[in-house]
Amino acid sequence: MIKLDRVTKQYGTKTAVHELNLDIPSGELFAFLGPNGAGKTTTIKMMCGLLFPTTGRVLIGGHDLRREGDRARQLLSYVPDQPFLYEKLTGREFLQFIADMYGLPRARAAERIAEVIELFELHEFVDDLSERYSHGMRQRTVFASALVHEPRVLIVDEPTVGLDPHSVRRLKDLLRQQANRGTTVFLSSHSLDVVEELADRIAIIEHGRLIACGNLKELRARAAVDGSLEEVFLTLTQHESEPANRLR
Amino acid sequence: MNQAFLFHRLRLALLRNSWRAAFGQSSMRPLVVVLCSLVVWGFVFAISWGGFLFLQMEVGVPMTGDIVGILLDLLFLSLAVLLIFSSGLILYGSLFSSAETAFLLSKPVAADRVFAYKFQGAVAFSSWAFLLLGTPILLAFGIVGEAPWYFYFFLPLYFLGFVLLPGALGGLGALLVVNFVPQRRKQVVGLLLAALTAALLLWIYRIVRAAPADLWRDEMREAVTRLLSYFTFTRSPLAPSHWVSLGLRRVVRGEIGSALYYLALVWSNGLFLYLMAAVASAWLYRRGYNRLSTGGDLRRTAVPPTVAPATESPNPPPSVAASPLRREPWVDRLLYGALPFVHPTTRLLLVKDFRTFRRDPQQWGQILVFSGLMLLYFTNIRRFVENLEGRFQNGISFLNLCAIALLLCTYTGRFVYPMLSLEGRKFWILGLLPLRRERLLQGKFAFSMVGGLIIAEGLALVSDWMLMMPGEAILLHALTVAVLAAGLSGLSVGLGAIMPNFRESDPSKIAAGFGGTLNLVAGLLYLLLILGSMAAPWHAETILESTAVSGLIPKGGVIASGVILGLALGGACVILPLRAGIRALREMEF
Repeated sequence: MIKLDRVTKQYGTKTAVHELNLDIPSGELFAFLGPNGAGKTTTIKMMCGLLFPTTGRVLIGGHDLRREGDRARQLLSYVPDQPFLYEKLTGREFLQFIADMYGLPRARAAERIAEVIELFELHEFVDDLSERYSHGMRQRTVFASALVHEPRVLIVDEPTVGLDPHSVRRLKDLLRQQANRGTTVFLSSHSLDVVEELADRIAIIEHGRLIACGNLKELRARAAVDGSLEEVFLTLTQHESEPANRLR
Repeated sequence: MNQAFLFHRLRLALLRNSWRAAFGQSSMRPLVVVLCSLVVWGFVFAISWGGFLFLQMEVGVPMTGDIVGILLDLLFLSLAVLLIFSSGLILYGSLFSSAETAFLLSKPVAADRVFAYKFQGAVAFSSWAFLLLGTPILLAFGIVGEAPWYFYFFLPLYFLGFVLLPGALGGLGALLVVNFVPQRRKQVVGLLLAALTAALLLWIYRIVRAAPADLWRDEMREAVTRLLSYFTFTRSPLAPSHWVSLGLRRVVRGEIGSALYYLALVWSNGLFLYLMAAVASAWLYRRGYNRLSTGGDLRRTAVPPTVAPATESPNPPPSVAASPLRREPWVDRLLYGALPFVHPTTRLLLVKDFRTFRRDPQQWGQILVFSGLMLLYFTNIRRFVENLEGRFQNGISFLNLCAIALLLCTYTGRFVYPMLSLEGRKFWILGLLPLRRERLLQGKFAFSMVGGLIIAEGLALVSDWMLMMPGEAILLHALTVAVLAAGLSGLSVGLGAIMPNFRESDPSKIAAGFGGTLNLVAGLLYLLLILGSMAAPWHAETILESTAVSGLIPKGGVIASGVILGLALGGACVILPLRAGIRALREMEF
């Protein structure tokens, strides 16, 4: 469903992502990890069509984002780390706008909006202007809008920041449910406990290069560590950060 | 659903909700905004009506003739230039650096649809000033020219067609600059602005040089003809501004066929250029967004900060007292060292504000252009006035002082009032600093006061010197300008703290908001009171000295009383708003 084919992205002379290959099938919950500045957000932006690869291709559902951008974007939803809401729209108006933008028929849109309001428990504030929302309320509204058109690919960047434990639990259940229903979930996060609990496969990127990719068991073997994902991550990234390894 | 219709509905919903949020609570706010707008509109209308009437009745200039045509050509040409830059800059900001467009571009929406949506917003926002200032001029032209009823029907049609042209040019410019010179985009815009300013200054200089000294006395048909030749570039048959001017004059003459021709010319070219911009955006918008995000930005090298910690200690450590900015740029050190009587912490805040201001050419560029134009006019004024009677010199000197006061009022309203709001959501950083909160306002007041004094005192001095005004007038004007700078700074800083808008990051929008408008009105009122009490009595007395009623005026007493009243007013306008602002700041929660 998501395919990155030898993707390289350069910022001037700096290479942010180098020859990245990923192939993520439908229904997989794929976690993308890396230290700050490793190239995670750049990769995600290329997957949404906000940035173009310097070389290589990004395909969503078989559509090349550069040549068939609108078709590819029709299949996906992106929840950025700093989600956007129109301050002067109510939650319901925002959901309607998103449903219309993805071309949902009127009746289906009404049905889906009612469903996501129910799912994310938005009843109490969905008719207020979003400028009055708390961080948690905003996050729930943004997730509701991301799912209103039932995307086949859900890309989520740092979704747990600023959420209380109840909301984090609810979010984890939701992401798992989406993957079980066949949606490809691409999760970028620094919350290693969340990733450890949820991810089918984990990729670790550092200095723009993919240094490891597999399930937790495979990563443990790669790191030669029989511990938590945190220990595995620290071992792998520390190893890659050593000067001798960086020069390879 | 059609995406154009979708964006149209989005805009309507945003406008409706914004209106309800802004005006739903109280009817006072819309009333004040409408009243202020009406006052400004009425003032411009009265001046224009009087001006056109003077031209027609006193000078015998026909409303549909060439001289009025040149005035209209100039009006539309300057409007076009302003609209190209303002819509280009607004479009650049909203297309390439707003959170909304990042959100929209991640959706299955065509790039040219996003462009069209943003284009409409940018053109509407950048041309509202024309509605407020241009419509009264054109309505006065129609009334004095005894235009037929359909003139008022044609007017909005011409206006709507005309704004498409500069708007589309600005949009095309923004797309091209971002796509082809992403690393040098600020320099390109700066160069364009500088070239335009230089051309404007050169043009004004040539006009002033060409104007005969006794232009106002005798009939000088040849001289006037020569002078008008400098305006021929505004009358190019290929200039859309000329089509509008010609078309409107044809409507006044009742030549509907010709007026419709020019209207069609304006609309067809406007729509064609807009179509070009929209097609270009389909190709270039996403490409430009990508280019700008990946290496478009120049990395700015700033001197690493070596500022010593700001403390509220009554005895600051020697390093602070000496200079905590030892390795900073010389202008910062100069500013810091020039105000030894101000508390070191306040001075550091002042330097911070100055540094922010200095690094934003969009801000100081406007001040530079206006001050430059005024300076050019002052330095050439002697040529006009050397043959005039003393009372005219006197009157011109007072009018120049009024113009300087207006410049000060604009400076404080446009740049100083939004300063506290611009601290925005990071305001809590300042709120947590180990310093008394009043220091923040004192810093901004000092910044405003120093900047205002440097600009306004210099201009006043040049004006009086060129007009060969006596020493007492120069002193009085200097004092008036100082009181104006202090009071306007106090009002803007104080009201800026009482009515901050931390959500907005665009200073022009903060200045144009409710608080900014209120501040402008308060500033204008203060300006009238100060000019009326401090400067007007001296000028009135000097003019009346040569008349029969001179004996009736108690000399000196009125002037002294006016100065005392002005000083008291100035003091009140510094202390009261600042005190209220400090109180608001102390109670502010983050």
